Amino acid sequence: MQQTNTIPSTHAQTKQTKQPLAKVLGFALVAGLAIAAIGGPGLIGVDPAKQSLLATLSPPSLAHPLGTDHLGRDMAARLLSGAQLSLSLALLSVLTAGLPGTILGVTSAWFGGWTDRILGAFADAVLAMPGLLLVLMLAAIAPGSWWTLYAGISLTLWVEYFRYTRQRARIVLADPSVEASRLLGLGPLLLVRRHLIPEIGPGLLTIAAFGAATAVTAVAALGFVNVGVRPPTAEWGVMMTELLPYWREAPFLILQPVACLVITVLALHLSVGGLRRS
Amino acid sequence: MAHYFKSVLTVLAARGLQAIIVAVIVGIVSFAMMQALPGDAAFRIAAGRYGYDMMDAAAAEAVRLELGLDAPWFVQLWGWLGQLAQFDLGNSLVYGTPVVDEIATQLGYSLLLAGGAIVASLMIALPMGVATGLNPDSLLDRICMGLSVFLRAVPAFALGVVLVLVFAVQLKLFPVAGFRGIENLILPSFTLGIGLAAVSNRVVRDAVVDAMNSDWQLFARTKGLSARLTLARHVLRNAALPVVTYVGVQLAYLIEGVVIVETVFAWPGIGHALVHAIFGRDIAMVQGTALTLGLLYVALNLCVDLACRGIDPRERAV
Amino acid sequence: MSSSIVVKALSVFAGAERLMGPVSFQVNPGGTLVVMGETGAGKSLIAQAILGTLPAALRAEGEIYINANRADQLSPVERAKLWGRDIATLPQEPWRALDPLMRSFGQVTEAHRLVARLSPREANKATQKAFETLSLTGAEQRLPSALSGGMAQRVAFAAATAANAPILLADEPTKGLDAERHSKVIDLLAEVPQAGGTLLAITHEASVARRLGGMMLVLREGTLVEQGQTTKILNAPTDSYTQSLLDADPLNWPVSTPSSLGDTVLTVKDLSVARGHKTLFQGFNLDLREGEKLALTGPSGIGKTTLLDALAGLLKPQSGTVLRDPSLSRHGIQKLYQDPPAAFPDRISLSRTLKDVARLHRTDWNEVLHHLEQLGISPALLNRRPDEVSGGELQRISIARALTVKPKILLADEPTSRLDPITQRETLAMLAGIAAKNQIAIVLVTHDQNIAQKWADRTISLTAAPESTE
Repeated sequence: MQQTNTIPSTHAQTKQTKQPLAKVLGFALVAGLAIAAIGGPGLIGVDPAKQSLLATLSPPSLAHPLGTDHLGRDMAARLLSGAQLSLSLALLSVLTAGLPGTILGVTSAWFGGWTDRILGAFADAVLAMPGLLLVLMLAAIAPGSWWTLYAGISLTLWVEYFRYTRQRARIVLADPSVEASRLLGLGPLLLVRRHLIPEIGPGLLTIAAFGAATAVTAVAALGFVNVGVRPPTAEWGVMMTELLPYWREAPFLILQPVACLVITVLALHLSVGGLRRS
Repeated sequence: MAHYFKSVLTVLAARGLQAIIVAVIVGIVSFAMMQALPGDAAFRIAAGRYGYDMMDAAAAEAVRLELGLDAPWFVQLWGWLGQLAQFDLGNSLVYGTPVVDEIATQLGYSLLLAGGAIVASLMIALPMGVATGLNPDSLLDRICMGLSVFLRAVPAFALGVVLVLVFAVQLKLFPVAGFRGIENLILPSFTLGIGLAAVSNRVVRDAVVDAMNSDWQLFARTKGLSARLTLARHVLRNAALPVVTYVGVQLAYLIEGVVIVETVFAWPGIGHALVHAIFGRDIAMVQGTALTLGLLYVALNLCVDLACRGIDPRERAV
Repeated sequence: MSSSIVVKALSVFAGAERLMGPVSFQVNPGGTLVVMGETGAGKSLIAQAILGTLPAALRAEGEIYINANRADQLSPVERAKLWGRDIATLPQEPWRALDPLMRSFGQVTEAHRLVARLSPREANKATQKAFETLSLTGAEQRLPSALSGGMAQRVAFAAATAANAPILLADEPTKGLDAERHSKVIDLLAEVPQAGGTLLAITHEASVARRLGGMMLVLREGTLVEQGQTTKILNAPTDSYTQSLLDADPLNWPVSTPSSLGDTVLTVKDLSVARGHKTLFQGFNLDLREGEKLALTGPSGIGKTTLLDALAGLLKPQSGTVLRDPSLSRHGIQKLYQDPPAAFPDRISLSRTLKDVARLHRTDWNEVLHHLEQLGISPALLNRRPDEVSGGELQRISIARALTVKPKILLADEPTSRLDPITQRETLAMLAGIAAKNQIAIVLVTHDQNIAQKWADRTISLTAAPESTE
């Protein structure tokens, strides 16, 4: 019996508490953006729609910290308003895509058989086309309205959650540890809590962050090509289109919505570890 | 060999089914678009078919009777899809010309752009990925990692705008937009190519790292093959497999990018036409262009499937 | 005649920490050196140091001569030129050592052509001949994924030895092979010194060492504990660790005392089991009694695991009945698994897992602690996650977990095949003790006839369908 102690438990308790710098930075940025989005233009107390044709394309000043656009509207207020729109739409679509996607994925893996086949076929049908193409077409049913945009984004994004959850859950449920737990008498609730959630939770978080980034990009892309949200709504993509003709007079203006968009997407990606092996 | 053809047939069947699904989805959504339009549907369809000049109330009435526009919506939908099944895409509601003719000229431009984007992305990703993969965790590797994370976060249209401002407007190296010659191809191709390469260079790198760390790589060396021979005979082929598979994953990004980037650069392709048609509510054109892009996606996927089978003998008979 | 390999005071370091060594030895042409020790004893480091394939974080000190030339001071490129030509290497896991995308013939013929520098025609002829001698005919166009473990090992052997290197390094050449293929590989290796070559074999099995003979090193946690003639050491070891390694060989186990049997708990009548549409075996009968130690043996792929699933009620039998005694509760049958980490939810602590089970079955936590103590597990280990304890410890924790639900039957599916010999012996001894103490029937699936003979009260050998007996 003494011999056993000579075989060391090599991996001592080295729980990783240290997070990579990029992740911390990403989290901080996301938190900052969240505050900006919750506060909106109210943070600086300026109406994003108020025009002032006497002060168009003005450089940053005390009254307008980021300058004004071609109609004399305050850039900072408009960018904040855009953050509000993009991030709330992103959060909404993460929820409406993530919850059903995850639940259906587990259902599919748990029951298998026809349930799995039907749900799988439905997911394949959505994946038959590039996501943005589908969003574009749905947006075209009622151009300029945000709800078709939102519906389109949710409809394309749920598949990610579904496919990931289904695949991982299948592997986890086929694991000897689940069989052992079943033999030991653990019910479905405990199986989900002890086996499934710890196993797929972190992956879902990654999908959610990347999905939110996709949603933000899609909203801006569609706004930019004039088939999504439309002027005079303050939306980053719309603002880019509006300001593009004035790049020579005021190059700093067009770069502002571009920077906002890039920082948002970057922050979301970094918060889950950036481009680690997928 | 018989097994090989059988596996190819399986691929063809799966992609064929996907093509049908694409057509049905495009048809249904277009139909919904038509229903959502304000005004009289028969009038618009007649205009779509015969052009605004050639149509009148009688023609509209004929259409109403023929299509049974008084029938319940699902009967109408069935008729709509039936037309699609006969490859009848109708006429543009704006120009009056047959949609098929419009698409025929645009498709070439879009294929040119898609091809240019893939070439540009491989030109960036392959050397970068192999160099970092052979030297993992080096300074070069870390720089490329940071660059990849950053570029991945830049949406294609924003990158396009920046590239236009810098290279076309400021430096005047390339034309701003439109299509007059091959010089117009470079900026949009690289706009898309950089976005694709931002991720795929890491995939190449990981594939090379995996291959270099594999037991079979070491065994190829210890059985006496030189590093160069091992790379050429074993490593590259094994690393190519995930890379080609990943090109398949990126096709969705490519098609989406084509739509947006064509608009940024006023490229006379299908994506530009689609956006234009949505804006102008030219439903026949929306349906035709979306269908073509969807089918293009399926066709490119098919090419990737077949390429994978070419590289990986396990997919064929064993 | 000069020695093939001379090693003087070789040590391997990770930073300042000495992982292995110092060892010194020499092997002459026609000679054999066996390096024996448990997993993690640093055996493979010797082979890697000789070859020059140590991971970048490790550093070797000492002198290494290959065919009278100093090898450890060569540049990596010069050193690599010895590979295949002066030293051949038989890899540990042949399946993973073969290029998954290249057919087996190609992997051997490229060595003949590019390493031995034969013309393409001669290379093909030589490869053909090698395939015939190694009875691989018919496997030429197969991909590694379509080869059995034994075949893959022979393909790797053919590729490694294509350029007729006089020295062969074989690192755990029998890992993962069943008894029959085991001895074929050993025969193959034994031919090397007979033909005038030099063999350096690394193994954790005394039986392999015995059959290869020659000289021997015994390593324990990187330190040399014994060195000398293989037969001498095996017959009269001077070190206690070597002794315990030898005792751990099932061949040397004492025969276990017969169990006192209680009532019948499981009756199996005329059972047929199928996987997919393929019937694995039929007509299986069994009468299992309390406290009984039963071993199930048979070649791999025969369906031993599937049979256990049928006994546990996890799988519907094709025909026949599995009748549980009414006294057997719903959770009265428990299982032990081959790969202990796979049998636990891997992201939560062990105490969480055990407490869940104890709570469900209203088992007093002190009772669980008592089981653990009997199995030699410190309660402090329970704060860890499954991947933070050793395989042997985890397997014992899984025994404790099973005891928490007070089972009448334990089905053990090769529970020790991934464990070291010493740990294996201890674990099975504990299992036997538990069977006796708690009057639990144990069905042990094993591929090792010796274990079955020494450990069990009786053994059932499964043979392929259609017949199988008690």
